[in-house]
Amino acid sequence: MPVEIPKDTWAGQVRTITLGATAAEGGTRSHTVTIGGQKSLPFMHFEHEAPYPPLVALEIKDRRPDDWSALLLERWGDVVNAPGDWAKAAEAAGAELIVLALSLTDANGEPTRPEAAVAATKAVLASTGLPLIVWGPGQAEADNELLVPVAEATKGERIAIGLCEDKNYRTLVATAMANNHLVIARSPMDVNLAKQLNILISDMGLPLDRILMDPTTGALGYGIEYGYSVMERLRLAALQGDGMTQLPMIVTPGYEAWKTKESKVGAGMPDAWGSWEERAITWETITAMTLIESGADIVVLRHPESVRRVQTAIKDLNSVREMA
Amino acid sequence: MHTVRFNSAPEAAHVPTGTLLVEAAGQVGIDIQQPCGGQGRCGRCAVIVDSGAVRRRSTLRLSSADIEAGYALACQTVIEGDAAITVPPQEQIERRLTTDLTAREVPIPAGYNPFEAQPIRRLSLTLSPPTMDDQTDDWSRLQTAARQQTGVENLRVSLLLLQKLGHVLREGGWQVEVLLDTDEARLIDVKAGYPADDAPLWGIAIDIGTTTVTVWLVNLLTGEVKAQVAEYNGQIARGEDVISRIIYSGKNNGGAELRRLILNTINTLIETACQRTTISADDILKATIAGNSTMMHLLLGIPAQTIRLTPFVTAVNTVPCLTAQEVGLAIHPEATVDCLPGVASYVGADISAGVLASGLDDTEAITLFIDIGTNGEIVMGNKEWLVTCACSAGPAFEGSGVLHGMRATKGAIEEVWIHTTTHEPTFRVIGNVRPRGICGSGLISLLAEMFLTGVVDKGGNINLSLQNPRVRMGEHGAEYVIAYAKETGHNQDIVITRVDIDNLLRAKAAIYAGFTVLADRVGVPLAAVEQVLVGGAFGKYINVEKAVEIGLLPDMSWDQFHFLGNTSIKGAYLALLDRRARTRIQHIAGRMTYIELSADNSFYEAFTSALFLPHTDLARFPSVKVN
Repeated sequence: MPVEIPKDTWAGQVRTITLGATAAEGGTRSHTVTIGGQKSLPFMHFEHEAPYPPLVALEIKDRRPDDWSALLLERWGDVVNAPGDWAKAAEAAGAELIVLALSLTDANGEPTRPEAAVAATKAVLASTGLPLIVWGPGQAEADNELLVPVAEATKGERIAIGLCEDKNYRTLVATAMANNHLVIARSPMDVNLAKQLNILISDMGLPLDRILMDPTTGALGYGIEYGYSVMERLRLAALQGDGMTQLPMIVTPGYEAWKTKESKVGAGMPDAWGSWEERAITWETITAMTLIESGADIVVLRHPESVRRVQTAIKDLNSVREMA
Repeated sequence: MHTVRFNSAPEAAHVPTGTLLVEAAGQVGIDIQQPCGGQGRCGRCAVIVDSGAVRRRSTLRLSSADIEAGYALACQTVIEGDAAITVPPQEQIERRLTTDLTAREVPIPAGYNPFEAQPIRRLSLTLSPPTMDDQTDDWSRLQTAARQQTGVENLRVSLLLLQKLGHVLREGGWQVEVLLDTDEARLIDVKAGYPADDAPLWGIAIDIGTTTVTVWLVNLLTGEVKAQVAEYNGQIARGEDVISRIIYSGKNNGGAELRRLILNTINTLIETACQRTTISADDILKATIAGNSTMMHLLLGIPAQTIRLTPFVTAVNTVPCLTAQEVGLAIHPEATVDCLPGVASYVGADISAGVLASGLDDTEAITLFIDIGTNGEIVMGNKEWLVTCACSAGPAFEGSGVLHGMRATKGAIEEVWIHTTTHEPTFRVIGNVRPRGICGSGLISLLAEMFLTGVVDKGGNINLSLQNPRVRMGEHGAEYVIAYAKETGHNQDIVITRVDIDNLLRAKAAIYAGFTVLADRVGVPLAAVEQVLVGGAFGKYINVEKAVEIGLLPDMSWDQFHFLGNTSIKGAYLALLDRRARTRIQHIAGRMTYIELSADNSFYEAFTSALFLPHTDLARFPSVKVN
C-alpha cells in the first residue's frame, strides 16, 4: 500500500543572500556564494527543493590564538602565525567561506591596531578566492575601531562584518552601507530580540538581503536545545510570512563546541570517553549538524575534519531524494 | 486675497490662498501657541472655523467630532477663501485635549443624601437622669436613647468609651453629643453637651499605592472633597515593587518597619489635609482604604509572604471593619476603618474600587480597564463578565526609578514636544514654573517624541550620532538633555538616560503584554474591545497618542480611550459615601475571574515582543509612523 507523505505549503520564503563579489562585480573573489531561498524546513525536498545547500565556513584568526585547543593548533600547524597562509589552508580543507576573527590584542598584549586588522584582512583576500566574513574582537569599541577601516579597505568585496548587537550596530551598519558589505546581526537566543535587531538595522537603510542573523547557540550538552528551538521558531516564522525573520542564519558551532570541557581537556578523562581528538571532532560535528537541521545556512567550524564530515552529511541528506 | 476675521481681533487679516491660519492670525496680532513648533503634533493651536474655506492638511489630534464642530489646527490649516475664525482661550484647548478627574473638583454623587447613603451619625441626645425609681445603667440608658433616634439595635461600645461614659453623661448634665456608625452598630464617641448645629462629619478615603499614597478628606454631610493630598509611599526605600517589599517584610523586623513607614506616610498626609482645611484629625470618623493586596497586608501587619510564593494566596481578601486605633491611623481612635475587598494576591482592593469608579461592571460594551501604576492591573469585560490579571510594571510611570523622575506635582514636566529636525525640546510644566523633574505622563510623552523624531531607535538606543549637544554621554551612559541647568528650578540639567529608557520600555512592555495575554486567554480579539478606560496616578495629563506611539496602549482610535485618573481613590471615596457603592465593590470583587500570568507560558514571549518601540510586531501599530 503506497504511503502518502503529507506536504506543508508555506506562505513565506527565506531571502536569498550572496556573499563576495567577483572582479566583474567590483571585488576580487574567484566566485561568490549564495544561501537562503528556502520555502520549506531543512531537507524537506519532497515539499520544496531548497535552492542552496547550507555552507561550511572555517574560522581563522589574525594571529596565533591564545585560547584555542592544543588539538586545533597542532592540526593547523604553522599557518596559524600568518592569516594569509591559514586562509589558504582553510580553503584547501574544503571551507566554502572564510571567517577572519580579529583579536582584541596583538601578540604583545597591546590593543590590535586598525592597520594590523586591515593588513590581515588583505592578506586573507590575497591568498584565497573565497568570500570573506570578518568578526571584530567582540567588544563594541574595539569592533567599531577595527571593522570600519577593514570595511573601507575592502570596499566592494561584499564581505560580511559583525557582530552587530542591539546596543552596538549603528557604526557597523553605516560602514557596511557605505562600502557595499553585509552585516551579521547577533541576538541572544530569543526570537523577538533577533527580529528587533533586524528591524533596527533595516531601519537604517541597509537592505534586508545584506543582513545575516546569528541567533547565538550553545554546544551539544551546553544549551543547544535552546539555540535549536529559537532557530526553528525563527525559521517557522519566516516560512509563515514574517518578513523580519526571513534572513539566512549563521551560527558558530565551532566556537561553542571547542569551549566545552569535552573538547578542551585531553588529560585525566575516563577511558570510556575515548580518544580526545575523535571526541572533540564529533562534538563539533554533531553540534553543527543539529543546528543545520534547525535551519542554519552557514555553520562556522574550526577543525578541518569536522568540515569534511559536515559536508558529507549535508551531501547525504540532500541525496536522499535521489533514493526515493 | 482673502479676508480672514478672528473673534479676538478688531481688524481682519488679508492673505493669499495657501496662507497658514497661524500666519493670518499673526498678521492681526494674535499669537497662537505652538509648543510642538508648528508640526501639527501637539494639538494646542486648535481653533474653530466658524465659516469659510480652509483646507486641513493634518488633523492628527482632532477627533471626527472635533472636525465636525469646526475645529482645525492653526498650524496645519491653510486659507482658501474668506473665513471667520474663533480662537478659543488656550486654557479651554487644554481642557478639551485631556480628560482628568483626579486633581479637579470631584463631582458629588447625584442626589447624595448623607443620612440615607452613609452610616456615620452625630446625635444630640437628652437622657433622663437616673433616679431611685429608674436605676437603669448609664450604657443601657444611652443605647436606648440612641435606638429611639436611629433604630440601631444592640449598639456596641469599646472599653475605653465605657471608662469615660459615666463622667461625660454627668458632666453634660445628661445632654450629650453621640457619634456612631449605624452600619457597624458601634459607638464612636460620646461628648458632654450638644454639638454645634453646623458641625461637619469628616471621613477620609485612602489609596495606598506601591509608589504613591493618596488621601482625600471628605465632608460626609455634603460629599464634598475638601482636600486632596498625595505623597510617595515611605516604603519605597525598602523596595520599589511589591515583591521586594514582601521579601523585606520577612526579614528581621521588616514587616513592623514597613508598617510603621506606611502609617507615617498616611498620617503625615492626614495631618497635611487637616491643616489645609483647619480641622482636627480627631473629627475624622471614618476611613475607607483601597490598595493592592500587598499594601493592605503590610498596613495591617499581616504577614504577606504567601502572596509571593506558589500558589500565591493572600492571608485575607476581605478584611472586616476595624477601628483607627487598631490600624494605627491618626484620626479619631474609634473611627471605623473599612478596608475594601481584593480579588487575589495581585489584584487588590484598588482594582475592585477602580472597576466601580470606572463603571466597567455596569456597561454593555466590551471594555478594557487598565490601572497603570507600579503594578499594571488589567480588567476586561462588561456587565456580564469580568476577567483580570496583573503585571509588574515598576514605578517608572509614577516618576520613580527614573533619574529625574518625580511625582506629578508642581515643577514636573508633564508633556514634551521635540522638533523633528532640530531635536530641540519644548515642554509644559505643572504650575508653569521652572522644571525640577519629569513625571509619568511627561516620560510617556518624552519617550514617544524621542522615538518619533529619531532621538532613539525602536530599541530605545539614544542616537549619539545626532548633531545636537543635547545628545551626549553622561555619568549613566547615553542621555538626552530635556532642560539645561539654567532653565530648571534646581539648577541641574534634567536628562533622560539610557537606563531610564530601559525602565520605561520594561514598564510599558509589561502592561502591553498583560493586555495581549489576557485578550488571548479569553479569546476576545482586539477589534472587539469597544473602549479602553485608563486609570492611574500618572499625573494630570496623559496623551493617548503618545501612549499608543510607545506601544503602552493598543492602537485604537483615540476617542475609544477615556482617562479616569486615580480610580482607586475614587472608588474608595464612593464607598465612603455610599453603602450601595460599597456593596457593589464587594460584588465586583466576587465576580472577577483572576488569571495568573506567572502560570502562563506565553507572557514572557509577549513581554520581549513588546520590549520595542512600538512593538516587534509592527502590524499591531499601523497608525504609528516615524518621521
